[in-house]
Amino acid sequence: MHSKTRYIILALLILIPSAVNLGVPIYNRDAPELFGMPFFYWFQTFWLVACTGFYLAYSKLVEKKV
Amino acid sequence: MISPDIIIVFVSLFIVFIGLGFYGKYWRRGDLNHVHEWSLAGRKLGTTLVFFLIGADLYTAYSFVAIPSGVFAKGSLYFFAIPYVMLTFAVALVAMPRLWTLAKEKGYITASDFVKDRFNSRTLAIMIAITGIVAELPYIALQIVGMQAVLTVMLAGYANAQVAQEISLLVAFVILAAFTYTSGLRGATLTAIFKDILVWITVIAIIVIVSITIGGFGNVFKAVGNNYVTLSDNLVPAYATLILGSALALYLYPHAISGVLSAQSAQKLRSSTALLPLYGIGLAILALMGILVYAVPGAMNFLSGFPESSRGILVVPSLILYSLPSWFSGVALLGVFVGGLVPAAIMAMAQANLLTRNIIKEIKPNLSDKSEIQITKASSTIFKFVALGFVFSVPATYAISLQLLGGILIAQILPAVFCGLYVKSLRKMPLIIGLLAGIISGILMVEFTNSFGQLTSSLLKTMFGPIYIAVIALGINLAISFGGSMIQKKIDSKKNTEQ
Repeated sequence: MHSKTRYIILALLILIPSAVNLGVPIYNRDAPELFGMPFFYWFQTFWLVACTGFYLAYSKLVEKKV
Repeated sequence: MISPDIIIVFVSLFIVFIGLGFYGKYWRRGDLNHVHEWSLAGRKLGTTLVFFLIGADLYTAYSFVAIPSGVFAKGSLYFFAIPYVMLTFAVALVAMPRLWTLAKEKGYITASDFVKDRFNSRTLAIMIAITGIVAELPYIALQIVGMQAVLTVMLAGYANAQVAQEISLLVAFVILAAFTYTSGLRGATLTAIFKDILVWITVIAIIVIVSITIGGFGNVFKAVGNNYVTLSDNLVPAYATLILGSALALYLYPHAISGVLSAQSAQKLRSSTALLPLYGIGLAILALMGILVYAVPGAMNFLSGFPESSRGILVVPSLILYSLPSWFSGVALLGVFVGGLVPAAIMAMAQANLLTRNIIKEIKPNLSDKSEIQITKASSTIFKFVALGFVFSVPATYAISLQLLGGILIAQILPAVFCGLYVKSLRKMPLIIGLLAGIISGILMVEFTNSFGQLTSSLLKTMFGPIYIAVIALGINLAISFGGSMIQKKIDSKKNTEQ
């Protein structure tokens, strides 16, 4: 992979989840509910799993020899 | 009054915990007369162990006490703890492997070691060590408040509950001090795994049992006020800045840095950091307890017997008592109890390293390795009892207030530690002035917000809405550090051309 592309992908793998975490209005709503739980709560809990995915991809890509 | 079988389970598991703590000395044997062996477990911890050790820093009494308590009293604002831990691992993934690599190469044990070497400034290194020690102290006190909450719930209704509670805490701390003295970070790591297993079982059991008994979440959220369902618009800036400020601060705490430096390789550190957001699921469940408790009449009835200000910190232990089968309550309560004890040990060790290496050794540079390790061990014991004495002498709410202030202070070492890792142009003088300005402005803003009375809020009202003070103070600090370094560079280059 081209080193510049690699660098951009690495940056995105960190910046995308962070932008969602800091973009509070994205998830500050009550609907749709999941098992009676407001969106605000279940989305942030679900996002923990998604973040793990992003971070694992980041650490695998960093290790990869160019 | 609770049934005796809870106490039997609690005490038996505590004995297992003590055994593990002392066994740590023999686990992956190393010469414990070396600082890096005692304080960093010989820098040999793999992905799983680092995951548990840093996880132990997350699942502190902060998650058992401060977060559910905040959600219980104020609602969804305190759920910021969840996005905060997600963001903090992004910060850690970028900064910490680099710090690890430098530390391994040059033998650093603390962040202050790095700063001294990087900026060639004893003053800055000592200031960073002092900030770390001061900010860590209320964090340890908060752990003790969490342990106290467990004992309060267990001993409620018994005669002399107050005395029994203080004696139990003292005994627990003497044992803790004894095994950290002999086993160092190895003891803390083994007990962290034990604690985390108990905590995970507890968290899963509570969420399953409570959601079945109350018949789904829907009813609870309909019964509580709107501020428990989502954030009101004016709190959005507060939520976002609390996430940002706390996420930047967590990995600056001395105990977090010890955890990082104990990893075996930068790669293993990265893998375990990437997996750590999963830990946040347990934290999210605990935070939700602050709302779910409203639907458990037994627990609410029990809480109503306490003054309003101390109900919050009792939410999780009383929910455990009133929703789980009694023998299992013993397991869960012990999980919360040692959940305060293990981080307290790691924190006191990290403080001791800063005191010995970065303050005492600066004053007496010819300290032998042997005296260094002896002073470190002794001061880690002293720091534990200072925190305990603090909790015994002031009300529990003070520990939580000072923890707020601690977070604001520790964030101020970010320019030297994190930016210092990547930015070449930073100079020591602007960093020193920036650090002082950040600390002073942070304290003043906190005092101003709370009208110079008891500290209850760390949010400053601004034209953009309430903003977390750590972020504003850090902004001032960063502006001085970077602006000053640029000016200094210009002056230097002018001098060079004139010569």
